[in-house]
Amino acid sequence: MSGFFATFCKELLLIRRDRAGLMLLFIMPAVLVLVVSLVQNNLLETSGTAVPVLLVDEDGGELAKRLTDGLQELGALTLVRQDGDPLDATAAQDAVRGGDYQFAIVIPPGLTEEVRSRARQLAEQSLAGEGAAAEPPLATAELAVYFDPTVQGAFRTAVLSSLRLVVLGLETEEKGKVLAELLPQRIEKLLPALPFGFGTPRPQLSFHWNSEPVLAVREQVALAGGLTKLPTAVQQNVPAWALFGMFFIVIPLSGTLLRERQEGTLQRLRTLPVSPLAILAGKVAAYVLICLGQFGFMLLVGKTVLPLLGTPMLEIGSEPGAIFFLALSAALAATGFGILVGALVGSYEQATMVGSVAVVVAAALGGVMVPVYVMPQAMQAISLFSPLAWGLNGFLDLFVRGGDLISVLPNAFGLLAFFAVTLTLAWIGFLQRNRRGG
Amino acid sequence: MNSTVVHSGPPADPLPDFQPLAVDGCEAVVLQVQQLVKSYGRGGRPAVDGLTFDVQEGEAFGLLGPNGAGKTTAISVMCTLLRPTAGSVHLDGIDVQAEPGRVRRLLGLVPQEIALYPRLTGRENLRYFARLYGLKGLELEERVADALELVQLQEHADRPVNSYSGGMKRRANLAAGMLHQPRILFLDEPTVGIDAQSRNLILDSLSRLRQAGTTLVYTTHYMEEAQQLCNRVAIMDGGRIIAEGEPAALIAGRAGCANLEQLFLQLTGSHLRDD
Repeated sequence: MSGFFATFCKELLLIRRDRAGLMLLFIMPAVLVLVVSLVQNNLLETSGTAVPVLLVDEDGGELAKRLTDGLQELGALTLVRQDGDPLDATAAQDAVRGGDYQFAIVIPPGLTEEVRSRARQLAEQSLAGEGAAAEPPLATAELAVYFDPTVQGAFRTAVLSSLRLVVLGLETEEKGKVLAELLPQRIEKLLPALPFGFGTPRPQLSFHWNSEPVLAVREQVALAGGLTKLPTAVQQNVPAWALFGMFFIVIPLSGTLLRERQEGTLQRLRTLPVSPLAILAGKVAAYVLICLGQFGFMLLVGKTVLPLLGTPMLEIGSEPGAIFFLALSAALAATGFGILVGALVGSYEQATMVGSVAVVVAAALGGVMVPVYVMPQAMQAISLFSPLAWGLNGFLDLFVRGGDLISVLPNAFGLLAFFAVTLTLAWIGFLQRNRRGG
Repeated sequence: MNSTVVHSGPPADPLPDFQPLAVDGCEAVVLQVQQLVKSYGRGGRPAVDGLTFDVQEGEAFGLLGPNGAGKTTAISVMCTLLRPTAGSVHLDGIDVQAEPGRVRRLLGLVPQEIALYPRLTGRENLRYFARLYGLKGLELEERVADALELVQLQEHADRPVNSYSGGMKRRANLAAGMLHQPRILFLDEPTVGIDAQSRNLILDSLSRLRQAGTTLVYTTHYMEEAQQLCNRVAIMDGGRIIAEGEPAALIAGRAGCANLEQLFLQLTGSHLRDD
């Protein structure tokens, strides 16, 4: 019992002396809880922040205004308009394809007129009764909804449902209005036909008009290069979790660096007639290779194992060179982060905690667990700084949006810049430690 | 040269009877340290404060001192690990600070820690360091084999280092430092905490290295070792050298001292150094 108590007290004393460790033990989990809770807030709340949708009104008529008002009143969507220089349908599609928006609703020119004409035609046909000679039908006006192929089904359904609800209301209102206008006219027309004014005139109504739409919703994936396939969960999850795994290299890498420092190996290495950059480069290369191996393995799982479990096979697009370049950039970023953690921490426990918590936070912010577009605005702004977000966005661009090397360059350069910054900070930390003789 | 001195480390064991090499006054100076100062941070007492000494080719020079005397700091500066605050160090005439790359080809370091990769085997460790020294092919394999033989680890060369005993690790640590046949070998307490047999073997190996022409700079807390291995010692305290010379001459010049340990305690005091 005395051994237990002595050990218990000793451990408490050790923990108390390790201020950095204490910070990690208490502050880091708090940060993790905060970030993950904020990120997932919108998913779990029924009245959370509305999904932002780009609205392009090329009609400008009364119906377009009522449609817009109806969507705003519904509150499920946040309509974003380009006020200064209004966009057209092509520009809206480009904005979605480029990832600036996840959805765009385009109200085509002449929609108000088309809806009303069609409603009038349908009403007239209805009043003409069954068997009356039908005019050739007018075209049904169409609202176009463009969506990012990476958008998950639940969010797509939410946007379409909101839109269809408002459209149904508008349609009923318009049909009702026209019918209210034409029905009395029809009754008046029928009155003289009745002998001696007996009976009630009964216009022959066809209810066919009720099922005929006057305003349709056309959903379209904003794909580049004529791709027509919708993305699968596999295409989202494989790169997302592959990146997550690659960044977890931080734990073995920082642990290795720490051991080298603590066990005197680094001291020995520094007395050898070899450039420290060569040693560093060798280390980086080894871990980058491991990261690439991880990534390749994940792709292989997506291609061969997941289909056996009933999921669609992973489609990776047609740009293997761009995929390799982006994976290499991500591997370098992960390795740079591992080296930074290894250079700054003072114990293996710190390395493990800092590494794992930082990666989980970066993954949550980067859209690995929850899509970035459903996060609150503040979290979306923070997510711009997550290297996992850059990597994931790049891979989705290649796998899903039909992107190429040029389109993923910004993401790849972001990752390479992250590698350069982490390596520089690690080097500064290393030099400072040497100056202190640590 | 059997000593009866009992020190606070491992029990006194019979050591090989080393005969310090006679140092000819005309031997080349391999290591020249002049007015070396090293301070950590501002305002603090320098860890090394005006250190000056020469080490000639083939010498075994002992750098002795209590904890915090500045031995490890001095070795770190001499091995290019730390930049001096003031003063200079020349190794084979080359300024350590100005040309660390050239100097590193000439020196070997056996640090206090077991500076090896525990999960690699002894041979894998030696091969790795040998490659970093620029060795390759047959020469690399021969050097690795020679080093393993010198420390008598041939039979255990293919076992992971983390399965070695403390003494085996120390021997492997020594082997890694002399793979490239350095002109000067710095040894920072290479026999700490090991069994008598391993200690005896390490000292024997060092003696053979010295006979082969390698210059040794050796720090230890074990005065008996220093007295028997080193032809010249410098006793440091507070970052300064407080005595320097051949052990026998130093002992003879101090009344009431029968050995180096007594001399050391007289010079540095018997109070504890816990800093």
